Amino acid sequence: MATNPMKIRATNKDGVTEVKVLVSHEMETGQRKDASGAIVPAWFITELTAKHNDRLVLAGELGTAVSKNPYLAFRFKGGAKGDKISVSWKDNKGESRTDEAAIA
Amino acid sequence: MSRFSRSILVLALAGATSAGFAFDHYKGIGRQATPAEVKAWDIDVRPDFKGLPKGSGTVDRGQEVFEEKCASCHGTFGESNEVFTPLIGGTTKDDIKTGHVKGLSSGDLPQRTTFTKVATISTIFDYIQRAMPWTAPKSMKPDDTYAVLAYMLNLAEIVPADFTLSDKNIAEVQKLMPNRHGMTTDHGMWPGASAAKGGIGNGGKPDVKNTACMKNCKTEVRIGSGLPDYARDAHGNLFDQNRSFGPVRGIKTGGAAAAPVVATANAGSGPLDLATRSGCMACHGVNNKIVGPGYNEVQARYKDQPDAAARLALKVKNGGQGVWGSVPMPPNGEMKDADINTLVAWILSGAR
Repeated sequence: MATNPMKIRATNKDGVTEVKVLVSHEMETGQRKDASGAIVPAWFITELTAKHNDRLVLAGELGTAVSKNPYLAFRFKGGAKGDKISVSWKDNKGESRTDEAAIA
Repeated sequence: MSRFSRSILVLALAGATSAGFAFDHYKGIGRQATPAEVKAWDIDVRPDFKGLPKGSGTVDRGQEVFEEKCASCHGTFGESNEVFTPLIGGTTKDDIKTGHVKGLSSGDLPQRTTFTKVATISTIFDYIQRAMPWTAPKSMKPDDTYAVLAYMLNLAEIVPADFTLSDKNIAEVQKLMPNRHGMTTDHGMWPGASAAKGGIGNGGKPDVKNTACMKNCKTEVRIGSGLPDYARDAHGNLFDQNRSFGPVRGIKTGGAAAAPVVATANAGSGPLDLATRSGCMACHGVNNKIVGPGYNEVQARYKDQPDAAARLALKVKNGGQGVWGSVPMPPNGEMKDADINTLVAWILSGAR
């Protein structure tokens, strides 16, 4: 199944880069039942990483406690205008996605 | 005829005379508004785009403006649920095709957003132009309003990232609005004849059917459940803990001591007037928290710090976040330094 792109915005101010990411993902917990009473199978992001050029700046293990379409923001030292920020996730169905943005 | 009834007749005549004055456009009072004055007030943008100012804006420019003026409350992607309900989200590609937001009826939406509800793009344009940003309404130029709207449309995946929205193509975008067929006027709230007869209402027919009970009716209304007395004060006065805008209100619990605090400051006094004029009172109360802290809380925190006035003045000017929770205070660069210093001194002296 095709995945939807993430929205990424990165800004650098006084040597600190702030990255904001809006991930598009269902994040089903596996606890919910549909109208016919059958359990909606769990489907959630398990790993999320963010890289500045090729340097790993954030790695996280996500679970079912995270909401649908998660939003996250983080800061790291360094980075310059035009540098590449790439964010990738993997989910429990084995799907993955990577999106990129330039620091503004 | 008795004298009594004659005096009533006289009173009735007097009433008719004064009513005659009233219909005479209050002769001697005021004057007609000039065309320029009417034009300044007449800023509404209608669904048929009557009143839409000329201009255009790109998604990229919109992102800059949004980040500067809107993101502190609405979130960078319009996703924030912190201060207001989200602007963006809950709409699908399919909705854009059908013009009905499926999530509204299927119950899949965790929460409604602006773009799941609004049927006409003119309404969003009008609202931004009229009321945004909260601290400085009517301050945005038409081009910036177009740009912000283009950015929001891009976030909602209605238009591509290289889109330029203008008065020329806004009608095309209207045809892509996810909930464009979601509005009904088939109820008694709208005036005029039914849509079939060329009006916009349904001829005034109510859409509720309240049938009067004619037999075996209940004689007494009894409230089935309520907050038990022993629990009323368990968490303080619930009324004070709810935000003061929006549909949700807490019940007033506790006795007289817990009654909501009323601002005691004199309404005509200078600093309070200034605070009201500058938009501070939308978020801060004198004696109570609204979105931001009450002035009494600010005073209590900073009263023993000698450099507080200078630091607070800087915060008012540049905005801040984190000291009182995650809801940010927007920057107030348009205020005069002297006004900011007056306000800070007023707040630190107890806001009286």
